[in-house]
Amino acid sequence: MKTLIASVLVALMSLGATAHADTLDDIRKAGKIRIAIDTAIPPFGMTDDKMQPAGSDVETAQLLAKDLGVQLEIVPTTGPSRIPNLQTNKADLVISTLSITPDRAKVVDFSVPYADHPSVVAGLSSIPIKSYADLDGKKVAVVRGTTQDTDLTREAKGAQLVRYEDDATMALAFASGQVDILATARSLLPAISKKNPGRTAEAKITMQTFYLAIGMRKNEPQLKAWVDNWVKTNLKNGKLAAIYKKYHGIDIPTDQLLKAGS
Amino acid sequence: MSYEFDFSFLAERWPDFVAGAWLTVQLTVVSITLGLVVGTICALARIYGGPWLKRLVGAYVELIRNTPLLVQIFIVYFGLSSLGLKLSAEVSAVIALVVNGGAYTTEIMRAGIQSIQRTQLEAADCLGLTRLQTILHVVLLPAMERVYPALTSQFVLLMLASSITSQISTEELTATANLVQSDTYRSFEVYIIVAVVYLALSALYRVAFWLIGLVLFARKRKLGTAL
Repeated sequence: MKTLIASVLVALMSLGATAHADTLDDIRKAGKIRIAIDTAIPPFGMTDDKMQPAGSDVETAQLLAKDLGVQLEIVPTTGPSRIPNLQTNKADLVISTLSITPDRAKVVDFSVPYADHPSVVAGLSSIPIKSYADLDGKKVAVVRGTTQDTDLTREAKGAQLVRYEDDATMALAFASGQVDILATARSLLPAISKKNPGRTAEAKITMQTFYLAIGMRKNEPQLKAWVDNWVKTNLKNGKLAAIYKKYHGIDIPTDQLLKAGS
Repeated sequence: MSYEFDFSFLAERWPDFVAGAWLTVQLTVVSITLGLVVGTICALARIYGGPWLKRLVGAYVELIRNTPLLVQIFIVYFGLSSLGLKLSAEVSAVIALVVNGGAYTTEIMRAGIQSIQRTQLEAADCLGLTRLQTILHVVLLPAMERVYPALTSQFVLLMLASSITSQISTEELTATANLVQSDTYRSFEVYIIVAVVYLALSALYRVAFWLIGLVLFARKRKLGTAL
């Protein structure tokens, strides 16, 4: 019994100690980095036909882990739990279509942006939508807690927002006909339209262009410096652009991203 | 180990939690009532029905009790709408909860009905009660009295399980928690609050069931003994 109590105490003390140490040191010591990625949002994070995680965010995480010289442990997450995963120390970094917003910047630190990410209101081609006013009284699907959710809640007061927990559920709601309009990232439209050939999602309104960045806990200056430097290096050498192009088929505005990050 | 609790968002967001809890109550009161009706009818059918009706009800009960509630909810919400029958999230949630709760209630009520002794039915016959009167007064009410604790536990479980319907965009208590959490990033605090609200709801339901029991079971109320 005494040994049990002692070992519990030792475990508790070491927990307290690691909470205050530097995350970059911890990652190097552990030989592995825990990165939270939502693997249900193709083409950023998905499972390929060999049941392996794939996607631009997954490949970005793999490149980062390789350059840091540690093993990658993917922490599966969903949109709403990305930041809680960081806060509760379940992950060291978030690379999961995390766009930079002032609200989020209050609770986490962002790296230099590694991609851009326009979000749109999309719908069936038969529905005429030109402005937020056209959404009045219509059902619009969003993923809870995303920037689209926040924006539409503020801008399109007449719209009836239907909130889903992740992109896959929202895409299913559109494909099955529960909703005819959705607000999401432009990059997702091809995948959503592929689910049901009879229901193609067409971009109607460009809401806002965001920058995607790597999220980390606040007050980690060493980690932040390393990640910032890594993003800049790989933007300049074109590796990040190549990963993005491979999955999305379009180029990222490298110069614009570097400028936004400086 | 250095987490700082911050409940200040409650000042602004408490109406959201009240609205969420209210929808949870509405969803579950309707589901429990209809589920009890479905379960009672199915239990009677499973005992007194013909061979095919017995098999049909048996298949329904086993199908529902051996598949996850979340899958059932998705089938109602996404499946039916793929077939062209568009139901709102709330209606889909109630249908799934009634179908699910009904299956469990069937088995509980069946146990109760089968515990009624043959002599009771014979006595009812001798007294000249009609078949409907016998089922109502001699079979169902005493049966329900016997299984009432199991029944109410199942209903409280159903209320807690309604949290799953947040997955199909029903804005009930858990969905409210997810929304507030994603706005404020105070996930720990939000889920503590929601746990307390669910606890309070469970207590409320148990008190309500106890009161309903007092009204329903006059014999027990007067004698205070178990059947």
